[in-house]
Amino acid sequence: MSPMIRRQIPFVALAIFLVVFALGAPQNVVDIGVYALIYGLAAIGLSLLMGLAGQVSLGHAAFIAVGAYTQALLVSKANLPFIAAAPISVIASMIVALIVGLPLLRLRGHFLALATLGLGIIIGVVVTESEALGSTSGLYGLPSLSFGGRTYDTAQEYFLLLTPVIVIGMWLAVNLVKSRTGRALSAVNDSEVAAECLGVDTFALRLRVFVLSAGYAGLAGVFYAHWLTIVNPSVTHFEVSVKILLMVVLGGLGTVWGALIGAVAVQALDEGLRALLPVIIPGAKGEVQLIGFGVILVLVIILMPGGLAQLWSRVRARFSKPDSTKHGVHEHEISQEEQRELLDKSLGILARTDHEPVGTSILKIEGLTKRYGGVTALDNLSLDITAGEIVALIGPNGAGKTTAFNMITGVLPPTEGSVKLHGKEVAGQLPHVAANLGATRTFQNLQTFKSTTVLGNVKVARHLRSKAGLLRGMVMADRAEERHIETTAQAAVDAMALTALADHPIADLAFGKQRQVEVARALALEPSLLLLDEPMAGLSGAERDSLSWLLRKVKATGVTIVLVEHDVAAVMALADRVAVLDDGKLISLGTPAEVTNDPVVIAAYLGTDDEAEATVEKAAAAHAADSTPEGGTR
Amino acid sequence: MIDLLQLVFAGLAQGAVYGLVALGFVAIFSVREIVNLVQGEYAALAGLTAISAVGAGLPLLVAILVAIPVTIGIAVLLERLTIAPVKKMTPLTSIILTLGVSTAVKALMLLIWGPEAKGLPTFPGSDIVLGGVSIRSQELWVLGVAAVVAYGVIWFYEHTVRGKSLRACAEQPVAARLVGISPRTATVVAFAVAGLVGGVAGVVGSPIYLSSWTSGLTLGLKGFVAATLGGLTSLRVAMLGGLGLGILENLVAGYLSSGYRDAVAFVVLVLVLLFKPHGLAGKSSGVRV
Amino acid sequence: MQRSMRLVSFGLAVGLATTLAACSESGSSGSSASGAAASTGDIKIGVVLDITGAGASLGVPERQTIEMLADQVNAAGGVNGRKVKLYIEDNQSTEDGAAKATTKLLTTEKVDILLGASRTGPSLAMRPIAEKAEKPMVSLAANAKIVDGSKWVFKTAQNDKVVLEKMVDDMKAKGITQVAVARDASGFGEGIPEMLAEVGKAAGITVVKVEKFAPDATDFTSQMTNLRASNPQAVLIWGIPPAAGLAQKAYKQLGLNVPVYQSHGIGNQAFLDTAGDTADGLRAPLGRMLVASQLKDDDPQKPVVTKFIADFKAKYNANPSTFAGHAYDGFMIAIEALKKAGTDSAKLRDALEAITKWPGVSGVFSMTPTDHSGLTKDALVMVTVENKAWKVAG
Repeated sequence: MSPMIRRQIPFVALAIFLVVFALGAPQNVVDIGVYALIYGLAAIGLSLLMGLAGQVSLGHAAFIAVGAYTQALLVSKANLPFIAAAPISVIASMIVALIVGLPLLRLRGHFLALATLGLGIIIGVVVTESEALGSTSGLYGLPSLSFGGRTYDTAQEYFLLLTPVIVIGMWLAVNLVKSRTGRALSAVNDSEVAAECLGVDTFALRLRVFVLSAGYAGLAGVFYAHWLTIVNPSVTHFEVSVKILLMVVLGGLGTVWGALIGAVAVQALDEGLRALLPVIIPGAKGEVQLIGFGVILVLVIILMPGGLAQLWSRVRARFSKPDSTKHGVHEHEISQEEQRELLDKSLGILARTDHEPVGTSILKIEGLTKRYGGVTALDNLSLDITAGEIVALIGPNGAGKTTAFNMITGVLPPTEGSVKLHGKEVAGQLPHVAANLGATRTFQNLQTFKSTTVLGNVKVARHLRSKAGLLRGMVMADRAEERHIETTAQAAVDAMALTALADHPIADLAFGKQRQVEVARALALEPSLLLLDEPMAGLSGAERDSLSWLLRKVKATGVTIVLVEHDVAAVMALADRVAVLDDGKLISLGTPAEVTNDPVVIAAYLGTDDEAEATVEKAAAAHAADSTPEGGTR
Repeated sequence: MIDLLQLVFAGLAQGAVYGLVALGFVAIFSVREIVNLVQGEYAALAGLTAISAVGAGLPLLVAILVAIPVTIGIAVLLERLTIAPVKKMTPLTSIILTLGVSTAVKALMLLIWGPEAKGLPTFPGSDIVLGGVSIRSQELWVLGVAAVVAYGVIWFYEHTVRGKSLRACAEQPVAARLVGISPRTATVVAFAVAGLVGGVAGVVGSPIYLSSWTSGLTLGLKGFVAATLGGLTSLRVAMLGGLGLGILENLVAGYLSSGYRDAVAFVVLVLVLLFKPHGLAGKSSGVRV
Repeated sequence: MQRSMRLVSFGLAVGLATTLAACSESGSSGSSASGAAASTGDIKIGVVLDITGAGASLGVPERQTIEMLADQVNAAGGVNGRKVKLYIEDNQSTEDGAAKATTKLLTTEKVDILLGASRTGPSLAMRPIAEKAEKPMVSLAANAKIVDGSKWVFKTAQNDKVVLEKMVDDMKAKGITQVAVARDASGFGEGIPEMLAEVGKAAGITVVKVEKFAPDATDFTSQMTNLRASNPQAVLIWGIPPAAGLAQKAYKQLGLNVPVYQSHGIGNQAFLDTAGDTADGLRAPLGRMLVASQLKDDDPQKPVVTKFIADFKAKYNANPSTFAGHAYDGFMIAIEALKKAGTDSAKLRDALEAITKWPGVSGVFSMTPTDHSGLTKDALVMVTVENKAWKVAG
């Protein structure tokens, strides 16, 4: 059976289960089920927001309310049929999300959560104050839902109506997680800076997911309105948002299936606790089931942050056969000849042909300066780098090399100065801007995407070389492109001789190997400018040789390379030009021979710091030895 | 004119309560970078505890002196039970976690004290009329107590070695340890301060604004908005922000419609996040990462 | 190829769902039609109340009342020899809870008549379900919208209009024409100023200022400041405790001294406790239950009210609230109709509509095809407060 068909099995099973449930379960259980499915729709949306965008909405009820009120208005006041009103209502929710998300998703951390919390309250005030929306009594007397010649006014009928909606909703959401957008956002959650340096526009993608998640909530609102036939301000209440949040947290942060299971669990829990608590605690009245909600939220976060999904995968891991290939990663040795043949082939697949002619300036740095308070990390650096050369940036620790990299790639905004890539200013812009112009990088302290495999890491780098958007990914119209991504990513993996490790979780790999994955990842972007931050650290002698050989090959395809490196011998052998930084200042620039003979350099660096240099290398080697596969989860 | 002054004065008293709650947010955020959504519950808890103590026959002053330490104790206990065990605290988990605690505490208060809002007896004193503006004695108590407590907290955080080292914990844990304060102690102290200001807000406000199991949520949210005005790190701006918010709310209620009162804070919140995400006095560097 | 397989499998799933749905149609519609009531065996009364949540202070005494009354009816031999069986559901003060509970009572328990809910919102959510199932329903909530144009739904709490009529009579007698209103911002106070203007038109009464307050509001400075500025001859505060009591207090504290009218929503001890001595002198149209001992002996309600208070006190050691009174009326009207018509839905409905001059706790009920509420302003008396106690106003 093809994997694509296998991927559909759970949805078919879900559809069958839901239909059997609707037909077989007692009426009042189906009734609870209807609510589970309605809130479940909103929970699916919220799980996308939390899992993919890494953001939380504490006012998701607001989006349900917008959908429900719009639907009620359109159906009861404007007499629109259900099928015409529903899309408008969903879009109304999405527009509200767009308005809120546009300014707020640029901010990190708590802000969206608290702003959505505020939004929930504002929407509550607006609907309560609006005469047109029926003030506190709300809009009531909606006609029962009927279309296609059927009236959906019993729990069973409504459940059956919701079944295809929820199955399709799940299917779209799961596809999204596995699509180009899902992959990019999941990478953002692992390492935002690395994902952005590979061209992921975090903000734009997060905004889309946020708007989409509001759409799911709006759809839940539509079905809520038709089922209750009354919409009033209570739908905006904070408790509703908490309930949906609990569904997602309990089901497992960000797993779509978890959200649905969480919805069922929470709805059952809600009913159960309301009945149970007053029995245990006599005299308990009011929303005492909230105690249970609160305690469960806390316990899940402390004991089982992955929710029911985590529990499920643990159970599954216990009962499935131990994977013998997982530990003790030792790829079979291939000869150097084979390896180099493979590389040539891979570069054939990857190499772009549109590089600028050798000698034209592609990176122009002028007066680049970074100050932290009184400390100047980089002082007035100017450098002009031309297409097709390898430039090495060397200097003692703290000389400002990585700071320069960070400002060139947009990771840090400069205090002063300009960085022009292909003539376009990128200083102060986000990293994805530089990536879009063909510049990408690796990191001194590893920035791998820990939740995926080696190949998964590299595939993220194909983000800019593929186009499928949110919608195409959701309806699986991206298969051809996905296959191409697979091929090219595999080529980059092959190029770095990582073929045998392709399907291993990256966290299982040794430090040096992870570093090579970063290089493979950068290559997979098909950059015109490749910035490598200490690519040799943690590599064995043979691996260093082979990396140098590879970089020359890459250079030969027209790629410009800038590298920061401590292995001076390797640098001198590899680089066309060397720039020496000391204490934030550029003290020398020239060919390896010129630099080696520059008295300033000898005084400041090469001459006196030999010992330090040796120490650094020793440390790096020791570090690599420490990072055995078993201990390599860092 | 008299109406305006009347509204402004009532707003000041209300704002002082928001300001105290806001101090609690800053006290914790500047040490642990956690937005503690339980903050409002401390006020509700202190108010209700004091009401029960008065109901049990204790004099008002004694009841207050019981309620505030109880609140501080519970604030610290909840931190030990729920915040301390979490190894990897991200903004997402801290929000969900404190939301969970706040929900549970709220429901527990409902269970113990029932759904009705109750008020402490008014503190001693009599209402006065000043140039046509009616001033309730309790409003003067609120302003006076808030001023003393806010001054105390700001002085502690900004002028004592212990207080300053608390903040250092967030910025440079290693350096802080050298000064002799562990992140653990710092967290406990921060939650104790938060419990104190929340508790004080709860008891001085209770005679006017009443205490109930639900009052913590809105109070907490408004306090949070005031704290955001100070970028969640400035105690002074948070306190002033609370006062300003109280006045603004009353003016909106008086001149527009009282229905919009609760929306004021959040409109302010969204505007601040839009234009000054680091607070009114904040600087704009270091947005990223 | 893969894509087409995928679509086929997905299509199959959806197809299966719809086919099965279609198959089930005949079954489900058949069963709902066969709800013909048995004419022997227990009488099933379905009760949906706000027992937990925001309406708990209404729903809990209502439940106590209905349980007490059901015991009394059964102890006296039931209705025409048939025992009464209660099915009490908690709607958690939510609309969806009310809808859920109603569906359950009608489909699973197959009750003969529905009582509830305690408040307007949940009652409105129940109404279409009862109408569709063609089962009689008696709501305990006040809003006239609950029974507007309804066929199967009745209610026992007096309409707001009736309360305002009583109030306007009193204002007219005192020569008051300029009234400022502070009203509850929730459903309880909705539309009140407009209705007051309409009812008071003939008496020359105009509403000079309207302010709103949330049911959980605690500070009324802004509202009362604005009322003060409008220089009214009287102020109407329309809300429920504790807000109504706090508003009363703020009114005095801000130095207003024109007469205060309050609504029928203040009829419990909680109001007197919050308002304290600032309540003295206010005027409110309230049900007779609060002033039972002050009623004249020939008042038709006196025996009913006195017995109910005594029974409730004996059983629960507390005074019944106004809401308990609504529950009494709702339950006993249902029993009255069941006695006459049995459990056949249509006959039962007709019997409810035919209730005339039936003395209850909240008033003397006379239902008509156009009035499913049944109370007039005569159900109310003007009450004032003296030394923190209710007193029939002179």
